[in-house]
Amino acid sequence: MRRAIIAVAAVTLIAPGAYAQAIPTFVEETDISGVDSVFEGEWEYMVGGGVAVLDCSGDGLADMLLAGGSAPAKFYRNVGAVGGELRFEAVESGAEFDKIVGAYPLDIDGDGITDIVLLRVGENIVLRGLGECRFERANDDWGFDGGDAWSTAFAATWEKGAAFPTLAIGNYVDRNEQMFPWGSCTANWLHRPAGQERRFAQPVPLTPSHCALSMLFTDWNRSGTPSLRVSNDREYYKGGQEQLWHVRPGEAPALYTAEEGWQRLRIWGMGIASYDLGFDGYPDYFLTSMADNKLQRLVAPEAGDLLPRYDDIAFAKGVTAHRPYVGGEIQPSTAWHAQFEDVNNDGLVDLFVAKGNVWEMPDFARKDPNNLLIQKPDGTFVETGDIAGVASLLTGRGAAIADFNLDGLLDLVVVNRHDKAQVWRNASKDAGGWVQVKLAQDGPNRDAVGAWIEVKRGDVTMRREAPSGGGHVSGQSGWWHFGLGDLDETEIRVIWPDGTEGDWARVAADGFYVLARDDQPRAWEPSGR
Amino acid sequence: MNSIRSLLAVLFLLASSAPGAAAQERPGPDQVLHNWYRMVLELVRHTPTYSPPVASRAFAYLGVTAYEASAGGMGLASLAGQLNGLAPAPARDADAIYDEAVVMQAAMAFGVRNFFGNTGPTGQRAMKAMEAQLSQITTAGRPEDVAARSMAFGEAVGAHILHWSKEDGGAVVENMGFPFNHTPSDGPGAWAPTSLVAQQQAPLLPEWGDNRTFAMPTGASCPLPPPPAYSEEAGSDFHTEAMEVYETSKDLTPEQTAIARFWSDDPMLSPTPPGHWISIAMEILQERGADSAERVDLLARLGIAMADAFIGCWHAKYEFDLIRPVTYIRRLIEPEWQPILITPPFPEYPSGHSTQSGAAAAVLTAHFGEGFAFDDATHVDEGLGVRSYPDFEAAAEEAAMSRLYGGIHFRAAIKRGLEQGYCIGAHATALKTVN
Repeated sequence: MRRAIIAVAAVTLIAPGAYAQAIPTFVEETDISGVDSVFEGEWEYMVGGGVAVLDCSGDGLADMLLAGGSAPAKFYRNVGAVGGELRFEAVESGAEFDKIVGAYPLDIDGDGITDIVLLRVGENIVLRGLGECRFERANDDWGFDGGDAWSTAFAATWEKGAAFPTLAIGNYVDRNEQMFPWGSCTANWLHRPAGQERRFAQPVPLTPSHCALSMLFTDWNRSGTPSLRVSNDREYYKGGQEQLWHVRPGEAPALYTAEEGWQRLRIWGMGIASYDLGFDGYPDYFLTSMADNKLQRLVAPEAGDLLPRYDDIAFAKGVTAHRPYVGGEIQPSTAWHAQFEDVNNDGLVDLFVAKGNVWEMPDFARKDPNNLLIQKPDGTFVETGDIAGVASLLTGRGAAIADFNLDGLLDLVVVNRHDKAQVWRNASKDAGGWVQVKLAQDGPNRDAVGAWIEVKRGDVTMRREAPSGGGHVSGQSGWWHFGLGDLDETEIRVIWPDGTEGDWARVAADGFYVLARDDQPRAWEPSGR
Repeated sequence: MNSIRSLLAVLFLLASSAPGAAAQERPGPDQVLHNWYRMVLELVRHTPTYSPPVASRAFAYLGVTAYEASAGGMGLASLAGQLNGLAPAPARDADAIYDEAVVMQAAMAFGVRNFFGNTGPTGQRAMKAMEAQLSQITTAGRPEDVAARSMAFGEAVGAHILHWSKEDGGAVVENMGFPFNHTPSDGPGAWAPTSLVAQQQAPLLPEWGDNRTFAMPTGASCPLPPPPAYSEEAGSDFHTEAMEVYETSKDLTPEQTAIARFWSDDPMLSPTPPGHWISIAMEILQERGADSAERVDLLARLGIAMADAFIGCWHAKYEFDLIRPVTYIRRLIEPEWQPILITPPFPEYPSGHSTQSGAAAAVLTAHFGEGFAFDDATHVDEGLGVRSYPDFEAAAEEAAMSRLYGGIHFRAAIKRGLEQGYCIGAHATALKTVN
């Protein structure tokens, strides 16, 4: 063993009869980071507050666009040093629109430069990346009808054979309904390519729509064709529920039905995170809500005839995260963005959840700390947010976990409503090894959205889907991270979006690799910093 | 047969809230009341603390608010002295003129604002919008002194009722009604948590049965016999009841499934069971073009009866602390058994749906008479259609049986719950409202 990740000197949590788990150390660097962004606005901005994390300049460092709500968004270029404190610099990018609720990066036109989709109160906007952190509006060039709604969810996929992506956009309640808005959920949209053109057709309404706050194209049954999962806010729908859509090339989208095995679930759905936690080859889904959150695991995948039926294992795994654990309040929590990542590099993916009261709701905690739930070897999780230093009591919304300083340790940004966004540097001293990969292929889907990445760790294969979407109005592109624990090297492969299985390749720990299709992993090192 | 679609045909005033809308007809107090109740049905659904017992309490206090605000102007007897702890409301100036629509608007706006003060941002926005619009159109064209006097009186009555409500034991509900510390009872027949929701590992509102009642003396005033003795022995009464639930669930007809879903009335996804009965009453009142005096009388009695029903029912639930079918059946009959409805997080006996439906049916039957047929369109928005009933008792019995179809209750809880409800409802129907 090359390293001792459970070092004696480390901060550890020891549960009776359990494995001593390394707890990461996060240092908040908001004040020195140069980030100064607040998600503003009243009723129409009570949900949202997202962040798009992307490399806008090609230097390998993650930059970010922070939604400002009623105020203009702010774009921050990453100017920090490798392994150093987090440093950003506000730049004029062309993305500084107001009324932005959330944002997702995506190379829409396949030119190798990341573009951005802006979800707004009003017209949605697609921004073409020009390089050097400059963007321009491309609605007209790409035939993108931005509509006029309150857009609050996003997911993207490349349907088989398509030259352009398919974008799903979730919309919220009719904002013009003042007295009786309940039951007025507006239609979600599916923006598909216009034939084989590199532009969008008129969007198809994804009805019934139930006030989506998160969407995710995900290959839940490993069929090779992702379906669209939609998490809906029961506060506003009538007759609604969580949804799963068939989105088959050349066919109209169709809901999975009860006859197909879909089980009715009605929650305050606000965010989706997915990961193969059970090492069974199928994604588990964490769904954020108010009070208890859900962790869904596919029922009996070994049976072969897969139905979209899920057990809720949140209680068993210790991730209900239903009320504050610090801050002194006893009312239930409100959860928004969720993300699975391995923040202590022990090879077991952990779970971050951003928390915050909707808006002065006294029945729910108003000082609601974020969660950092560390996974233990037995598959259960333990809360460490306060010890790790990320238990902010501000009103959290969107978030992203990314290695901003390229030191192999995942850092954190959280957007807060009516307060400054916060950034934390992961300063853990006792973390394990890691590997980070970037996918690349020719053709329109340059970043291989929808691929699966597999990494071996001992007897298990860690797997993650590489989607575009989910979370709470926050998305990211770039490096995909795996913790390796005490491994010096590992094997890795990609299952490309068309189903082609890449070869297993051996890579050394603690490195960045570009995984290009039909090529050996290419080591990458940051330069100039 | 009443053909009820009135909730769908939204009234004259609220559809046109946009600036520049055409001048709106001035509503009477009956329509002011109706529209506030429409709002309350939504707020109940969208205020997470409003589980059915908590919702019933709000319906009772708002019903009494409307009643007491109107009584003096409509020749009705005050409920002061009839309801536990209710002192006489502020009196009107006998020589002054009041506008009943303005009085109603002020009283209801005050009551809703306070009883739903903890609703979310959208509910707050909706309440403000309704208050602004109804205040504007009810006072339009009225003499300033009349409008001011009427508004002050309505608010004073609202404040009086709010003050009365503070000490009833149900005013403060924390953590959505789930205690932080709860020691479950020992014994195989005791209630045990039925869900994997962390918050619901403790039962809902275990002290609710000790709340001050409205029209009946205490929560123990309509007692009921113990449930069948707990037994795991095949052929015992208890086991036989469990087998009935189990076997019914295995062979549910489409009609039984529809009934289970129609009356499910889950908190935070519906107006709750008491809201369902309020909805039925509102539909009938609207269809009949009932005047304000009839509306305040019925809505007050109905709210009181259902609030008392939940207190009485909860008193019994925590006295008997009985195991749910889902726990028993999974333990002894089929480990993977899955009823079609989610079992609520509190003890089984008696059935809350049954008790409160019995109480509601008692009040509605006393008001509209025996054999009063009606349609129920409460859940049209949810896509559950309209159901028709020959009378209120039939509807109550269907609501009660829906819980057996849903796998939530044994038959004894249903049968005796209805009986308890009829007993509790009689206290509300005995209130004197005619001078």
